[in-house]
Amino acid sequence: MSTAVKMQAALISADARPASGAWLADARADAASRLAAMGLPTRRDEYWKWTRPDSLISAVADTAEVLDYEGEEPLFSDVDRLKVVFVDGVFSAEESDALEGEGLEIERLADAAAKDIHWAKDLYGVLETRGQTPVNRPIAVHNTAMATDGVVIRVTGALSRPVSLVYRHEDANSDAILHSVIRLEDGAELTLLENGPAAARFSSVLEVDVAKGAAFHHVRAQGRDHDRQAITHVFARVDAEATFKSFTVTVNGKLTRNECVIDIVGDNAVAHIAGAALGDGAEHEFHHDDTVFITHDAVACESRQVFKKVLKNGAKGVFQGKILVKPDAQKTDGYQKSQSLLLDDDASFQAKPELEIYADDVICSHGSTTGAIDEEALFYLRSRGVPTPIATDLLVLAFLADAIEEIEDEDIAADVTGRLDAWLARRRG
Amino acid sequence: MAGVDELIAKEGVEEETVEAVKSLAGAYKYGWETEIEMEYAPKGVNPDIVRLISDKNDEPEWMTEWRLEAFARWEKLDEPSWALLNYPEIDFQDQYYYARPKSMEEKPKSLDDVDPKLLETYKKLGIPLKEQMILAGVDGAEDMPAEGRKVAVDAVFDSVSVGTTFQAELKKAGVIFCSISEAIKEHPELVKKYLGSVVPVSDNYYATLNSAVFSDGSFVYIPPNTRCPMELSTYFRINAENTGQFERTLIIADKGSYVSYLEGCTAPQRDTAQLHAAVVEIIIEEDAEVKYSTVQNWYPGDENGKGGIYNFVTKRADCRGDRSKVMWTQVETGSAVTWKYPSCILRGAESQGEFYSIAITNNYQQADTGTKMVHLGRDTKSRIVSKGISAGKAQNTYRGLVSMHPKAKNSRNYTQCDSLLIGDKCGAHTVPYIEVKNNSSRVEHEATTSKVDEEQMFYCRQRGMDEEEAVALIVNGFAKEVLQALPMEFAMEAQQLVAISLEGSVG
Amino acid sequence: MLKINNLHVKLEEEDKQILKGVDLEVPAGKVHAIMGPNGSGKSTLSYVLSGRDGYEVTAGDATLDGEELLDMEPEERAAAGLFLAFQYPVEIPGVGNMTFLRTAVNAQRKARGEEEMSAADFLKFVRAKAKDLKIDADMLKRPVNVGFSGGEKKRNEILQMAMLEPKMCILDETDSGLDVDAMKLVSEGVNALRDEGRSFLVITHYQRLLDHIKPDVVHIMAAGRIVKSGGPELALEVEHNGYADILAEIDA
Ligand SMILES: Nc1ncnc2c1ncn2[C@@H]1O[C@H](COP(=O)(O)OP(=O)(O)OP(=O)(O)O)[C@@H](O)[C@H]1O
Ligand SMILES: [Mg+2]
Repeated sequence: MSTAVKMQAALISADARPASGAWLADARADAASRLAAMGLPTRRDEYWKWTRPDSLISAVADTAEVLDYEGEEPLFSDVDRLKVVFVDGVFSAEESDALEGEGLEIERLADAAAKDIHWAKDLYGVLETRGQTPVNRPIAVHNTAMATDGVVIRVTGALSRPVSLVYRHEDANSDAILHSVIRLEDGAELTLLENGPAAARFSSVLEVDVAKGAAFHHVRAQGRDHDRQAITHVFARVDAEATFKSFTVTVNGKLTRNECVIDIVGDNAVAHIAGAALGDGAEHEFHHDDTVFITHDAVACESRQVFKKVLKNGAKGVFQGKILVKPDAQKTDGYQKSQSLLLDDDASFQAKPELEIYADDVICSHGSTTGAIDEEALFYLRSRGVPTPIATDLLVLAFLADAIEEIEDEDIAADVTGRLDAWLARRRG
Repeated sequence: MAGVDELIAKEGVEEETVEAVKSLAGAYKYGWETEIEMEYAPKGVNPDIVRLISDKNDEPEWMTEWRLEAFARWEKLDEPSWALLNYPEIDFQDQYYYARPKSMEEKPKSLDDVDPKLLETYKKLGIPLKEQMILAGVDGAEDMPAEGRKVAVDAVFDSVSVGTTFQAELKKAGVIFCSISEAIKEHPELVKKYLGSVVPVSDNYYATLNSAVFSDGSFVYIPPNTRCPMELSTYFRINAENTGQFERTLIIADKGSYVSYLEGCTAPQRDTAQLHAAVVEIIIEEDAEVKYSTVQNWYPGDENGKGGIYNFVTKRADCRGDRSKVMWTQVETGSAVTWKYPSCILRGAESQGEFYSIAITNNYQQADTGTKMVHLGRDTKSRIVSKGISAGKAQNTYRGLVSMHPKAKNSRNYTQCDSLLIGDKCGAHTVPYIEVKNNSSRVEHEATTSKVDEEQMFYCRQRGMDEEEAVALIVNGFAKEVLQALPMEFAMEAQQLVAISLEGSVG
Repeated sequence: MLKINNLHVKLEEEDKQILKGVDLEVPAGKVHAIMGPNGSGKSTLSYVLSGRDGYEVTAGDATLDGEELLDMEPEERAAAGLFLAFQYPVEIPGVGNMTFLRTAVNAQRKARGEEEMSAADFLKFVRAKAKDLKIDADMLKRPVNVGFSGGEKKRNEILQMAMLEPKMCILDETDSGLDVDAMKLVSEGVNALRDEGRSFLVITHYQRLLDHIKPDVVHIMAAGRIVKSGGPELALEVEHNGYADILAEIDA
């Protein structure tokens, strides 16, 4: 029996399906049938050319030891925030803050599911479905069908504090599927923070609808548990004059694939997506894949993709990024940058930075570079008395800076830089 | 010999006179047809046709077997669909796979024997076959002095090579330049050794088909430490209707040799699409260098997308020796559909590959073209400069691969892909694949897409140029780096082609 | 020669009126200068006359020898004899200066029904003109304005003017960026072209240029209008006192 069929069978058996109200049950059933039709990804799929989907779709998740953080405060600890905690994908009421706030409707997906009518009906699985053309993303469909929980958030004003999703990992065999839906009404503002390893294997879908003039800022840190695996999808719809910004930092992780599908549908909107990844394959595998698809379907919009990877000891990096400019999306300004720094000869990087453009009054470009550290810069630092390991790390941080600059909040950006520095320092010994 | 008995002559050629067609041809200069009696093999492809082609060329048994094996493989393959191309399904059984002028049945022994219509055709195309060049087999005439710079030409008319010039002079230098059908007979040891060694029989759908049914093409061998005394060129002309052209070119540059090779193509203007599937294999040994330049100007179809050549070409150079070097330059202005990725296998240490391309698509033309740079050896270098220009309702895609293998230490690639859009109904796309598996190598890729700069347009027009002139000028500037990579004569022709190809694209 | 009548111009994309009723007449064979504070609309006037996109004429008209200019395409205006030396000459990568010049010269000849110039004649012609302006052969081979210094760009504009032999030349701050010697060269170039059939409209901020190219009339432009016209002495007055006095006088 193929995995797809197995999953389909699991879905149909009533107890495998999380309890849900009619609106959610419909969405799940729809996803289940879509999944059955498209099947799961295989190694032969062009879209999975450089990342093997096998361990992401196997019936049982591979074990991932829980990392001892040795008392280190998790990221965002100092930030005044509304905390929602999931432990191995299970909501933790005692660790979470009260789910309330001014200008904010927030509840668990599991709670929303119990209601017969819910605003999230118009979004749950809807943006995900839109994101299935021109390429299938079956794992996201699977998530829509199978997610056990998540949060649904509706924002009507400018929030005074960020919403922070904290994903703790305690069970070495956990397999978590979370699905969150976020709606920013006209002119609303939200900063969403996500951090933590979540589970041994984590499938996450985030559907974000950014209405006119709204601003969504997203900063995500994927936990450093070595053998954890994550497959995440962000599906965003960005309306006129709205801003969407998302940044992800990744250190460690056996396999991470972050897919981001952004649809710019209103004029003068801005969408930025950035990522910084640091991988050392010395003792644990590291494979990191950023797969991004930005569609411009409106006039005078700006999009940026900035992805930086630093890889060593057999660490592998993948970037697949596309800017699609539809006919009539005139005055588009699209830029895509994917760069990798290979610190030794075993590291590898594979990239497919694509442009597909059907409007003429556009400025679109991409740049991709791969190579070793700049010897001249290294020499310059050394000639000023900086020892090679420190000089190297300095240059690594400088290399990552472009991506980190995409974080709107300066304190958070500084904090992220600090964590990266610490990661490098630990490896310097 | 069932196939031979089935050979039939196609009755009645097109009614229009050459002049009439020419006047209808508009922008496409080479849209006329030569009225010449042809003989055709029956339509379609099957083992009998494969045998017939082999038989027509008087091939030895091993060659026939090679072809049949390819055909058997082809039958098992599916036509690829990954390119950003959209065309009606090709009925491979509704094509003629062999067509040759009747007059070529017997190889001409002297210039007087060559059908004057053929000579006229090449003269009209601007190929100086008659004055400067002496056809193969014309005894003693080869050493006639040529005016200006010498270019040896192998002219392929539909399925057959009609003549190769300067053979004797080349022979003196040890260079072999002849049709591939001749090479199969005269130099079987070379052909056996190299044919299919760069583009294996089962490489891809079109290459496999070509391996089964190629009817002719050119063969070049440059001996060690020899600089080919003149430029070599092949001129391809599709004349017959409903006929696929499948030519095969094999170039071997032995140690320390050098050759510059030019390729030109045209076809008459017709309502129905025609198929062209060529294979070019280049073997480059130690310290040798090959420059391969193409001006592809097959009939692109009319402004409504009717007719035109479907061009599926596999070109690959294998830089086997250390310090070997290849440079592909292409100007792709013709064809309704282009599917073409001249590639470089950089096997030898310090070998170098370069790819310079201009692809212009107008009206309903579609091009999916680019290159592969496969770095296997240490200290290898590659450079890609691609300029895509899209106008009308055309789609233009750059597709490329740069691969740095673990052993390709200290290698370099630089890629620059620029696209220019003229009008809001066309598309320009970039699909690069980059694979880097060692850290001493450096890969840089840059791509831009934009429309013709308005300030530049205004500046030109203020100086009195009309929009079309201004666009042609600016586009030529945009493509300069590639035009400069072409041999002089080709560069001039290419520059004019740029302007012609873009006619009707503005306003 | 050039007659501008109550010309009102706004930006096409914005609601911004830039020219608010310009009246100006430059008779054949005369040199008129326009001075005026930054942003007063001098370049806009020159662009509108030569047909650049992005502006909307809301009222008024402009004629060249009686022909309505504003209805023509830019290249038709050029063929009719209008030449603009740009304040910021445009760079065109990849296009050789020589190719550019030759295409322009021949396009205009063709438009006027004249025969195209042969390659040899053209070469002779351009070399002679370039020599007068001390433009070396290398600059002719390089792409149009790419990597040219500010002064080189301006000299290149004058070279083009000399080649195209227009009858109405508009020079937009051709003097800015020129060193003293270049200023002299350029002025000589302009003066050599002066004759009774040819007129000039020289936009400048400095008296210096007008020392070399003696204007018949000086206009002051402010806030989208010609606010004062006078003889060469007007330029001297601006040089010494700035615009304040003139503007105050008008407001009064
Ligand atoms: N395309 C445009 N978009 C916005 N503003 C413009 C545009 N063109 C001109 N303007 C504005 O119109 C006004 C007049 O500009 P213009 O360039 O004609 O001035 P100028 O008199 O030539 O100034 P200068 O002496 O500095 O060259 C300025 O305020 C300028 O900013
Ligand atoms: Mg100005």
